[in-house]
Amino acid sequence: MSRAHDHLIERLERILGPGGVFHRPADLLVYEYDGSVEGAVDTAAPVAVALPTTTEQVAAIVRLANEFDLPVTPRGAGTGLSGGAVAQRGGIVVALTRMDRILEIDPEDRTALVEPGVINLELSEATIPGGHFFAPDPSSQKACTVGGNVAENSGGPHCLKYGVTTNHVLGLEVVLPDGRVVWTGGRAGHAPGYDLTGALVGSEGMLGIVTKALVRLTPNPEATLVELAAFPDVESASLAVSRIIAAGIVPAALELMDNLTIQAVEPAYHAGYPMDAGAVLLAELDGIAEDVRAEGEDVAVLCRETGATSVRVASEKPERDLLWKGRKMALAAMGRLTPNYYLHDTVVPRTKLPAALRRVAEVATEYDLPIANVLHAGDGNLHPLILFDRRQPGAVERVLHASHELLHSCVELGGALSGEHGIGTEKRAALTLVFSADDLAAMAGIKNSFDPKSCFNPEKLFPAGYRCGEVRALRAQALAQKLGIYAM
Amino acid sequence: MNTPPTIDGLTPSALVTPLSAAELADTLAQAAADGLKVAPIGGGTALALGNPPERVDLALSTLALNGVLDYEPSDLVLSVAAGARFADVQALLAGHGQTLPLDPPGDAAATIGGLIATALAGPRRLGSGTLRDLLIGIAVAHPAGIVTKSGGMVVKNVTGFDLPRLYHGSLGTLGVIVSANLKVLPRARAEATLIARVVALDDALAAADRVRASRLRPVALEAALVDGAWFAAVRLEGRPATVATLAAEAAGLLESDTETLHGTDSAAWWRRYVAHQAVHAAPDEALLRFAVRPRATADLVRAVLRAVDGSGAIPRAVMASVGVGTVIVRAALDPEGAAATLSSLTATISPIADHVTVIAAPPAWKRGLDVWGGAPQTLDVMRALKSHFDPERVLNPGRFAGRI
Ligand SMILES: Cc1cc2nc3c(=O)[nH]c(=O)nc-3n(C[C@H](O)[C@H](O)[C@H](O)COP(=O)(O)OP(=O)(O)OC[C@H]3O[C@@H](n4cnc5c(N)ncnc54)[C@H](O)[C@@H]3O)c2cc1C
Repeated sequence: MSRAHDHLIERLERILGPGGVFHRPADLLVYEYDGSVEGAVDTAAPVAVALPTTTEQVAAIVRLANEFDLPVTPRGAGTGLSGGAVAQRGGIVVALTRMDRILEIDPEDRTALVEPGVINLELSEATIPGGHFFAPDPSSQKACTVGGNVAENSGGPHCLKYGVTTNHVLGLEVVLPDGRVVWTGGRAGHAPGYDLTGALVGSEGMLGIVTKALVRLTPNPEATLVELAAFPDVESASLAVSRIIAAGIVPAALELMDNLTIQAVEPAYHAGYPMDAGAVLLAELDGIAEDVRAEGEDVAVLCRETGATSVRVASEKPERDLLWKGRKMALAAMGRLTPNYYLHDTVVPRTKLPAALRRVAEVATEYDLPIANVLHAGDGNLHPLILFDRRQPGAVERVLHASHELLHSCVELGGALSGEHGIGTEKRAALTLVFSADDLAAMAGIKNSFDPKSCFNPEKLFPAGYRCGEVRALRAQALAQKLGIYAM
Repeated sequence: MNTPPTIDGLTPSALVTPLSAAELADTLAQAAADGLKVAPIGGGTALALGNPPERVDLALSTLALNGVLDYEPSDLVLSVAAGARFADVQALLAGHGQTLPLDPPGDAAATIGGLIATALAGPRRLGSGTLRDLLIGIAVAHPAGIVTKSGGMVVKNVTGFDLPRLYHGSLGTLGVIVSANLKVLPRARAEATLIARVVALDDALAAADRVRASRLRPVALEAALVDGAWFAAVRLEGRPATVATLAAEAAGLLESDTETLHGTDSAAWWRRYVAHQAVHAAPDEALLRFAVRPRATADLVRAVLRAVDGSGAIPRAVMASVGVGTVIVRAALDPEGAAATLSSLTATISPIADHVTVIAAPPAWKRGLDVWGGAPQTLDVMRALKSHFDPERVLNPGRFAGRI
């Protein structure tokens, strides 16, 4: 190793102690990946992984990276599915998993102050006994970190009623790319100035490192009811979804699984999903007991009217958990069907769900790839799971083509590229499907304002080769085009 | 008419009302080229908000951009031009049993664009959040002569940076909002409001606290002084039978002389209440907003009342959102030395409130102070954003926080 390299490691160890720095190739291996399927996103090795335990250490690492002119990539649990935590241009990975303390739970304010490495589920487990929960609940919640949730603006089944991560973040302590530590937002509303908290949530680790998050807690519902409705096919299940929404009911969650998913899940977890059902719909209702009871009856009626062959109702926790288990373990169960799968994430307007699902089926046939569907149906958020075997020649390419086809179709239906998993490197090339050069210039404005040297998580989100230019430069371009001069 | 409105005593030399988003962007580019300063204007209901502009040459109205661009009730999303009036949008939605669950101050004339730019929110913030939570997409015209969009027409979307949140509350300093996409919600089937008349502030706070600690999930919960009388007010929504049950429970918790209003009477009561928060001040009064963490609300209201009394001002309305941490006060000040009184009043409360904002006051009173109560720690990032989107400071120069 070069002297510059040794010098860097020595300086990092001075900040973090020897146990706080990984730099041997074998130790770096796992940090080359995130949760994505290999082939869908690139892998890359950092020079070093830094594992700070304090905000001051994070700031010192960032200043050091500046000094060495090295890129910085923040990382939580590495469960991301769009390549976000992969150090695309090497440099230093700042892994926040050792900053994992819940600093404060305030039942009166209904807030929690946490370090970024706190595991999502552990936060809710800590607050539920006191009467509250943290609403964003990605399916990866046993592993993913609050910092990662903030960076990806993560969603989950309960976002239908409660909103996504950004609706639950009140303030952030952030280490900026120049090494300064600042707070945005806070416990009180109406902070003067631009909503930088809002800009930071969902910024995929490209604007700063979150070192503390002040999050909103939601009161535990008084009553909860889960219903499992079995349908002969996906069409009738999605019709039920539209009917429920149209009836003015906002369930806490409304999840759909198709037959292929049931085939994987039921034998493994015995959640009680009828094996011969074309699809099952999992509806959760929560809130004031009287409303939950009445809405539960309405939902059951609507499901039967749209063709449900059975509706199971669970009001006690063990039975509710069992019904949920099938949904929560759906990805894990896929191993029973296939050696590999590619989990896709797209979103369409709710009424376009049946059309989108038809398209998924067509793509499955066209590319000769089985596709299982597990989706946040109430939100129009699809998660087609493309099943394949990477040992078959050309399989990965076929999967990527199929996935691109699905993206195109969802955009044509008025949707977006990602409902939850982010753009990262996975979908950066597709960004121009939905955004013009001008739109990208506005986003570049945020990037430039926080990170003018573009050293935080480079090569993400923006299409390859995109330069974060100034909106100002576009004026000349816009005028030239209007005048019919295509000189530029 | 084409008479430009006055902003903090300044009258722009012209009012322009572009007929399309593209035309609006062109107007901005032209203004930038000519070195003009522009104040975007929607319904004109909140022009008093902000520091007095450094200069304003052109008032740029969004009122001609007033159509509904896309509305598919079954999708529960709406795309609307920025100049659409809040009341008109609500009427349209009501026809489909839907609503924007918001009660912003200002009269029916407020526009969607204006409400996004000012981030004003009423008592419902407690139970339904704010426009920030409903905004799923936005299109904005910039002085570069371009219109940029972000977000989309889907309720869950992480495609690119979250610009809608950045524009929300940016007071037109980064661009002029030309359209917005919003989540809408089913309208509650029934609503009720309980108003408990009490003797003093502490009774109102105690009553409100009992409700907050109960199983009830009110969409609004206020302790207030309006028209010389203290009361606690609770707004409940849900299914008719549930609302009836909960209203009875609430009446028990409030423990005093309680009036219960249902349906349209309940809604009308809140419209009258929120009217006291309208962004406008009579020549002898100021409208102030204080914000703290929710648990400190009671201490804040008491301190505010003491300070108002101590300054010789007369409170015309005191409205505390319990559980939110916001207190809004409308107070009459002796015009003699009013500017100094206002400054000392905000200075007295500043140590105990996280944020003190002078929402509206006669222009002469505002000259000596920063109505936003100072600049945030991140002012340099704000400046960088400003110089990216509006390098020549064409839009609302000096009005927003940090006099950006
Ligand atoms: C089985 C499975 C199921 C999933 N289900 C869901 C789901 O239902 N909904 C959903 O939204 N996502 C889901 N995901 C995706 C993923 O779990 C989320 O994006 C999660 O929030 C990532 O958290 P993490 O800690 O693993 O972050 P990482 O993967 O480590 O990082 C993700 C991004 O966040 C940045 N980052 C991490 N920490 C910080 C920080 N402190 N400051 C600044 N930037 C930071 C990184 O740079 C990177 O860009 C799933 C993933 C898996 C593997």
